Amino acid sequence: MGMFLPMETAIHHMPREAPARESNLVLSAKGLVLGYGKRDVVRGIDLEVPRGQFLVVLGPSGSGKTSLLMSLNGSIPVKGGRLEVLEQNPSVLVGRSLEVFRRRIGFIFQSFHLVGRLAVLHNVASGLLPRIPLPMAMLRWYSREQYDRILEALRVVGLEDRVLDRCDRLSGGQKQRIAIARAIVQDPSLILADEPISALDHRSARGVMETLRNAAREFGITVVCNLHHIDTARDYADRIVGLNDGRIVFDGPPSILDETAIAAIYRGSREPEQSPSDPESSAA
Amino acid sequence: MDREQLRKRTHPLRPSNLGIALGGLAVLAACWQQTGMSVSDILAGSGNMLEYVRGNPNIADSGFFPPNLAPVPLGRYLMAMLETVEMALLALVLSVLIAFPLSFFASRNTLEIIFPGRSPFWRGLRSAIYGMVNLFANMTRSINEIIWALLFVSAVGLGPMPGILALGLHTSGVLIKLFAEGIEGVSREPIEALAATGAASPKIIRYAVIPQITPYLVSMSLYRLESDLRSATILGFTGAGGVGMLLFDKLRSYENRDVTTILILIVLTVALIDRVSAWIRSRAS
Repeated sequence: MGMFLPMETAIHHMPREAPARESNLVLSAKGLVLGYGKRDVVRGIDLEVPRGQFLVVLGPSGSGKTSLLMSLNGSIPVKGGRLEVLEQNPSVLVGRSLEVFRRRIGFIFQSFHLVGRLAVLHNVASGLLPRIPLPMAMLRWYSREQYDRILEALRVVGLEDRVLDRCDRLSGGQKQRIAIARAIVQDPSLILADEPISALDHRSARGVMETLRNAAREFGITVVCNLHHIDTARDYADRIVGLNDGRIVFDGPPSILDETAIAAIYRGSREPEQSPSDPESSAA
Repeated sequence: MDREQLRKRTHPLRPSNLGIALGGLAVLAACWQQTGMSVSDILAGSGNMLEYVRGNPNIADSGFFPPNLAPVPLGRYLMAMLETVEMALLALVLSVLIAFPLSFFASRNTLEIIFPGRSPFWRGLRSAIYGMVNLFANMTRSINEIIWALLFVSAVGLGPMPGILALGLHTSGVLIKLFAEGIEGVSREPIEALAATGAASPKIIRYAVIPQITPYLVSMSLYRLESDLRSATILGFTGAGGVGMLLFDKLRSYENRDVTTILILIVLTVALIDRVSAWIRSRAS
């Protein structure tokens, strides 16, 4: 213990008293405790994420990483400690104020959560819904600017030519890229991604991660992404946080994630999951 | 568990299965007994039926065949049949207009999108609305359209309009039930995704619920169109318009060849609507 506690690197360490703090920290948690009923799944986490960082949270299943993500957009309440996301405490928001808060956060799900029968256009447009007046939304009537935004997002994820296809015609990787486009049109400050590639084969998975990283860079979006593939985390993260049993056991850049750190993250669980054995992964 | 125990519990002739079978048979036997069903009566009486269809040889034109195809009454029957189709169509539109919005309040999942609170107040409100809409659906559905037609005839007089109102109201009850079943079966995932973008509830329903149920709604509505058409051919018996008025008239005055003509028209029209709706359904998946 203690060996892999937060590294004081320039990337993520911001002194509390720094004047730039308000605008520069997207997320800050202090002693954060999350749980269901009497069971705690996150047991006191300190985490600060500056604007524009691509943070990957690694950990075995049951380590609390999904709960952590869910708490960040106010889907589950905070049991203890302090949490601030985009300068607000998500767990006290309800109704209208929660809606307004969530507009600034894109969410990418493991199983895409698209409507298969609906064209790509409308699935992406659904990310714009808070900005579309109700009568227009009922008619699926978009303005020229909204069409531009949708096409721009589809260009970023490389699926401009599929705009009129139904989503159930797309492959898994393409569906996840559509989900990323849906998040981009929201114009979010933060994207939360919960195991975005675990339902995908290796090649599509890399396509999705590349798309996500490029989109985040192009628009300056902060990303918090849960993964269980260590190699993928290494390739795409600016910073990796390792969770084990609800506690942070590693925090630092991918370059210092060594065998000891991996062992600490996956302590008490089955073997850490490498990317599916694929000649390309070792070549890359 | 050992083999004998497993065999006992899964054997097709185990006591519980035999009990269910015997119980079912007992219910059917009681039904047969108390309704006075009798095979011998059917066999003995079949001659009478044939005679009825053939007609009384002493009275000219009292049989059902050949159908009366003289152009003047045929044109009238065709127009009445057309009116019946129009009645069924308007009744369907009316019932969808009532049932479509109400069905979102008769489904627990959409009620939770519309009124999301977790406090006892919101829970109570949800079950109150759910109960009221279902009460409405049960009432309109379980009272037969003929009864509704009699009520509406007394309100607005003879003609197709009371028929349309009666069919529309009765069918709206059926459709609320059917639509709500479809709505409760939609996948929650897109709903979650849209809730996470901060979209308001009507928009979530528009983008995540309605697209999922469209083929089902179209299919159920078309099924009800066929059913409404069949009902509309009978509604005229109460004076509520359509071909049924003529059918009732001809039956009562023993103009049986005209009855046959009308029945043939009904069968052909129902078959035609059936084909058209099958075609529409196949395109709306």
